[in-house]
Amino acid sequence: MCRTMSTINKRILTALGNGPTRRRLFGPVDREQLREECRNQLRKDLEDASHRWSFDFATETPMVGGDFQWEGVVGPRVPALYRSRLVGSADARRPGASASRAASGPTDKENVPCTPTRCQTQPQNLEMTPEKNHSQRLKRKQTNITDFYQAKRRVVATSRKSGQ
Amino acid sequence: MEQLLCLEMDTVLRARPDPNLLFDDRVLQSLLTIEERFLPQFSYFKCVQKDIQPFMRRMVATWMLEVCEEQKCEEEVFPLAMNYLDRFLAVVRTRKSNLQLLGAVCMFLASKLKETRPLTAEKLCIYTDNSIKPQELLEWELVVLGKLKWNLAAVTPNDFIEHIMRKLPLPKEKLTLIRKHVQTFIALCATDFNFAMYPPSMIATGSFGAAICGLQLDDVDQALLGDNLTDLLAKIINTEVDCLKECQEQIERVLVSSLREGQQQQQQQQQEQAGPRNKALDELDQSSTPTDVRDINL
Repeated sequence: MCRTMSTINKRILTALGNGPTRRRLFGPVDREQLREECRNQLRKDLEDASHRWSFDFATETPMVGGDFQWEGVVGPRVPALYRSRLVGSADARRPGASASRAASGPTDKENVPCTPTRCQTQPQNLEMTPEKNHSQRLKRKQTNITDFYQAKRRVVATSRKSGQ
Repeated sequence: MEQLLCLEMDTVLRARPDPNLLFDDRVLQSLLTIEERFLPQFSYFKCVQKDIQPFMRRMVATWMLEVCEEQKCEEEVFPLAMNYLDRFLAVVRTRKSNLQLLGAVCMFLASKLKETRPLTAEKLCIYTDNSIKPQELLEWELVVLGKLKWNLAAVTPNDFIEHIMRKLPLPKEKLTLIRKHVQTFIALCATDFNFAMYPPSMIATGSFGAAICGLQLDDVDQALLGDNLTDLLAKIINTEVDCLKECQEQIERVLVSSLREGQQQQQQQQQEQAGPRNKALDELDQSSTPTDVRDINL
């Protein structure tokens, strides 16, 4: 069955090759230049984002003097959604029945913000930034800044929304 | 077995039109409110691009339309991909040698957003005659996403079709034909840079005007007669009658030149193998008689 599917796919792909739609429009592409430009653009995006969020995404450290001030949050207080999960663990495969889900409260939706409110009322519990997990196992998702930092307050009162 | 599989591959399950979305005027009003957010910021040929000329945009657009046609993409994939392309070109100076890659990336993204069975990176690379590799397409996907600020759910003229259609006194048996013509006009507009800065609702209503006029439906209902129709359409999208009229005339002009170009190409290609050439020409030829189409423009 699988083999049949893949041979059909292959046949479709080869059939594409012969139509007039398959064509090169503007001559040869300079691969090296393309890669260079891609890297430059991505670096520029990262710089813009760092500036925008006062957070150096390259070194994963907060920057001083921007619109945001970042403070560390202890691991267990990070909302379950933002915790790193591990590939292969029961957690990752069946999120509905996982232990971390139980900790996040009775809600069924995973996009509901569920930061515990006591976060704000116990500032003495704010400790050092937890060390990044360098274990051998693969992480299921990329680390987010919110794994480690929580936007504490906005210094400048702009009504800018993210993405604008 | 193989035949069965092939048939399965052509079937796309789709939901029935949702009356809650289509019959609620708030949806149309919201579309009108947000549509301008997704327009490209500048006429980029003047102030951003150096290497890229308007005719190159037409070349890449024509190629994209052919790919979408051949792959039987959903109608809105091509206009949406062109919206991405224009928004990217408005902010990033691009080499002409990378323009086809950009077009492929935009189709890749639009198809993923709109289709149950999206175009694959491999297929798109083959269509560029392997001038790019899937890996490069995926890398540039990220670049384009960043420049679009991940705002992919742009409003397209196609989003307005059903909303406008149900407010016009159209004969029921012609709805399918009218929809097809309107979609063709919208695609035609997307290939022409002059329409890139027009609000999608304007392109949609202009296309309705051109389609209804072209199909000579004005003897069906007085309301579909020339100026009456323009007034009605302008009211539906809260716009000025003069702007709409100008837009419709522009669409008709583009159709004329596109048909002329198509005819020339047809003559040139007569010895060559028949293939998809000009969507406007092909589709209009299929869905109405050629004389009908030519009557529009006289």
